[in-house]
Amino acid sequence: MKLPDPYRLDKPRLKAAFENAAGYYDAYAVLQQTVALRMIERLDLVDIHPRWVLDAGAGTGFAARRLGARYAGSRVVVLDLAMAMLRQARSKAPRFFSRERYLQADIESLPLARGSVEMVFANLSLQWSNDLEAAFEGFRRVLQPQGLLMFSTLGPDTLIELRDSWAGVGPGPHVHAFLDMHDIGDLLVRAGFHGACLDVERLTLTYRDLEALMQDLRCLGASNAAQGRPRGLTGKGRLAEVQKRYERHRRNGVLPATYEVVFGHAWAPLPTTRPQDGSTVATFPLVRVPRPPGGGSAQR
Amino acid sequence: MDKHLLDILVCPVCKGPLRYRRAEAELVCKACRLAYPIRDEIPVMLEDEARKLAPDEVV
Repeated sequence: MKLPDPYRLDKPRLKAAFENAAGYYDAYAVLQQTVALRMIERLDLVDIHPRWVLDAGAGTGFAARRLGARYAGSRVVVLDLAMAMLRQARSKAPRFFSRERYLQADIESLPLARGSVEMVFANLSLQWSNDLEAAFEGFRRVLQPQGLLMFSTLGPDTLIELRDSWAGVGPGPHVHAFLDMHDIGDLLVRAGFHGACLDVERLTLTYRDLEALMQDLRCLGASNAAQGRPRGLTGKGRLAEVQKRYERHRRNGVLPATYEVVFGHAWAPLPTTRPQDGSTVATFPLVRVPRPPGGGSAQR
Repeated sequence: MDKHLLDILVCPVCKGPLRYRRAEAELVCKACRLAYPIRDEIPVMLEDEARKLAPDEVV
């Protein structure tokens, strides 16, 4: 499922936005950090001992440091589209014998070998992919059989107040298109994952005014990078109109911004055991199939 | 370059093997004829930042 053209993200522009945001990213990344901590909490329920963990879209390494601490002896591949983010991550890593390894890459074109990691952690990065199914396929490829994908992304109600305020004011997309949980679940299955488990949580951040919200989005590197965005400056008159409309959402003196966070995890499949030469398949009772360490044992 | 990381790195385009050229600080994909730079010890595995090998460049 590819995004329709006006919604395709301009990757060089997205990269530039993240490069610029790296210096002050953590201060503005309340959402990212809140969600990361919830994802890490969920790992308490899963008994796995990865040797390699991929943090896909690691930003300044907030989650990567915690994953490294959680899985003693593991190596964490800290992967991000922006070099400035990786430098920040490296400067915050444990000073001696760091087990973090840094890679500048696109989560849609992973430079890792098939079956090279036991866990992929992707916190609020998949919403910036142009082809989510391909991104999931890439994760499945780099995961070992029965490896774990743990991710979060944004659902369609994200920034619903902003979307509502822009509606009818100007042409072109002003808020990125986000897929819903059911579509995401279908794409996971199509990409070959099993045991997918998804749920949604709405988080609301509040701002004193629209400018503060827009500033925050810019600092998250998440401002409008869609190719169909209107070129040039948004007219002052139009912005004022959006502001006026957004004010209708004001409650208790602050402007709310909704983030619909989709949490999910799924397991990479066992290698295909069907013989290619048409010979008979041997069958075993299910109890005799050995379980990999922790494989499929997620509880909720 | 960390040897363990080098062991699991592939070309982001064709997923084929890479050759590490220490002196040039590059990771080279022979099939795609692309050289990925290593900047400040961080491999830059992006197609649009890779150097295209010259036609007569021996890998």
